[in-house]
Amino acid sequence: MGENNTAGFNDDMEQKFDEKTFEDLYRRMYPTLKNYALYLVKDIEDAQLILNDVFISIWKNGTILTNEKAYLFRAVKNAATNYHKAPKANLWHIDSEEEIPEITDMKETPAQALQNKDRNRVLYALIDQMPERRRLIFYMYRIDGFSYKEIAVLLDISVRTVEDHLVKGFEFLQQKVLKNRFEFR
Amino acid sequence: MDQETWKLVLEYLAVKENPGRSKAEIAMLEQKLNDWADNDAERLAQLEEALSLWEDTAQLPDDGSWRESFAIIKQQLDEAPAKKLKILKWWPAATAAAVIGALVFFVTGNQKTAVTNQNAIAWVTKTAEPGKIINVMLPDSSEVWLNSGSSISFPQNLKHAGFRTVKLNGEAFFKVKRDPAHPFIVKSQNIQTRVLGTSFNIRAWKGSRPEVTVLTGKVAVSRDSAGAQSSAVHLLPDQKAVYDLRLARLLREDVDDAKTSVDWRTGKMNFESTPMEEVFQIISRKYAVKIITDQSFKNCQLTAKFDNVALSEVMKTIGLTFDIHYTINKQTIYIKGGKCN
Repeated sequence: MGENNTAGFNDDMEQKFDEKTFEDLYRRMYPTLKNYALYLVKDIEDAQLILNDVFISIWKNGTILTNEKAYLFRAVKNAATNYHKAPKANLWHIDSEEEIPEITDMKETPAQALQNKDRNRVLYALIDQMPERRRLIFYMYRIDGFSYKEIAVLLDISVRTVEDHLVKGFEFLQQKVLKNRFEFR
Repeated sequence: MDQETWKLVLEYLAVKENPGRSKAEIAMLEQKLNDWADNDAERLAQLEEALSLWEDTAQLPDDGSWRESFAIIKQQLDEAPAKKLKILKWWPAATAAAVIGALVFFVTGNQKTAVTNQNAIAWVTKTAEPGKIINVMLPDSSEVWLNSGSSISFPQNLKHAGFRTVKLNGEAFFKVKRDPAHPFIVKSQNIQTRVLGTSFNIRAWKGSRPEVTVLTGKVAVSRDSAGAQSSAVHLLPDQKAVYDLRLARLLREDVDDAKTSVDWRTGKMNFESTPMEEVFQIISRKYAVKIITDQSFKNCQLTAKFDNVALSEVMKTIGLTFDIHYTINKQTIYIKGGKCN
């Protein structure tokens, strides 16, 4: 009994959506979306699950989206919101404005990276050291081309805060670069 | 270069890259930047550096990290046969259809809204609000007690599903109806628990170590990271599995009396060197209160046992232990001060 009646199974999966397109979309969207999901749920595994669910449902729908970027960020946001419907466990925690000390135990320290002399890589190694929210804003602005206003809406913060984070982010990069001027060409 | 100037630089670059903006606007911003530089060599160099920072961050270096993550999705979407073998090894009695059912749960089961939208099978979620403990009877006659602030989701056709798969957020005690042909699987945080018919307690609050404690029968617990499965830890009564988040490993431990793990059902709270952050979470769920502290209690631990007592009594004890001043205002507790031993 029950052999053909399985939980949540949808057996007429459509393959209209070209695999290459799907992979490209994933590759392009992955870095910022992952950071965004992580920012929303604060848990790397959950962020990954949410991201995967969103992409899997796109694949299953078999459609290419007209405004894929906006759609994907909204989908991740919705997924994260529903996911939070379970009562928040960290009620007691006061959500202070993040000024997390720099993370030092990275895979590749800036000093090592500097020796690679690959400026783009070094810069992103530095960007990845920024506090979570700042890093996310940097990605959204610089990589995904969202405007201050769009970022503000997606993160539920003010436009001024977005600008402030970006300015501080660039300032941080500039200071680091100046400090290492000699190695950094 | 100060922040005001950076603001100006960013504005200038944004305007410049936007084809819709007028030349006059660009010129105006350029002028402002020139005014700031004031022909000073040092300042001009800084401006140049700023512009090159902009250029050099335009693209993300491809470190290939997306590939690994994409591989997981692909595997979930089209490698059913490989997984089938793996699972059949575990539960030889399972039918092929049952396996497919469980696999598809990997694909869709992590997010309940996605499931409800994508498939004909409806999912049901039951939630115990903070301050409440509820008893849920599942369609297959298994019983679940949900601790305050926990929720469980299950497919409506659970009774007929090849694998009886449910998803837990928080803590629950299960009494599973025995049905060897249809294993019962609980997914919670980063672990999954498989049984045929037993009673056991799962603690899987976000942010703390998940634990499975067995009261009767046999239970297999395995990691469940994004659908990938690792080998299982098998548990007997009075044993528990703890998932060590740092090591990303499941460890088996003996317990003196597994029944204490379900003391919460009668309103008791047992703390054993429990981090204060967790203590506050447990209290806020049990008494449906919000706790606001003016300092971090990192590295503070509490060892204490409470019967089903009033919140004021709990707070009095904690207050004395950590030299805390607190006020209770409706459903909010404000905590001032506090010292760890």
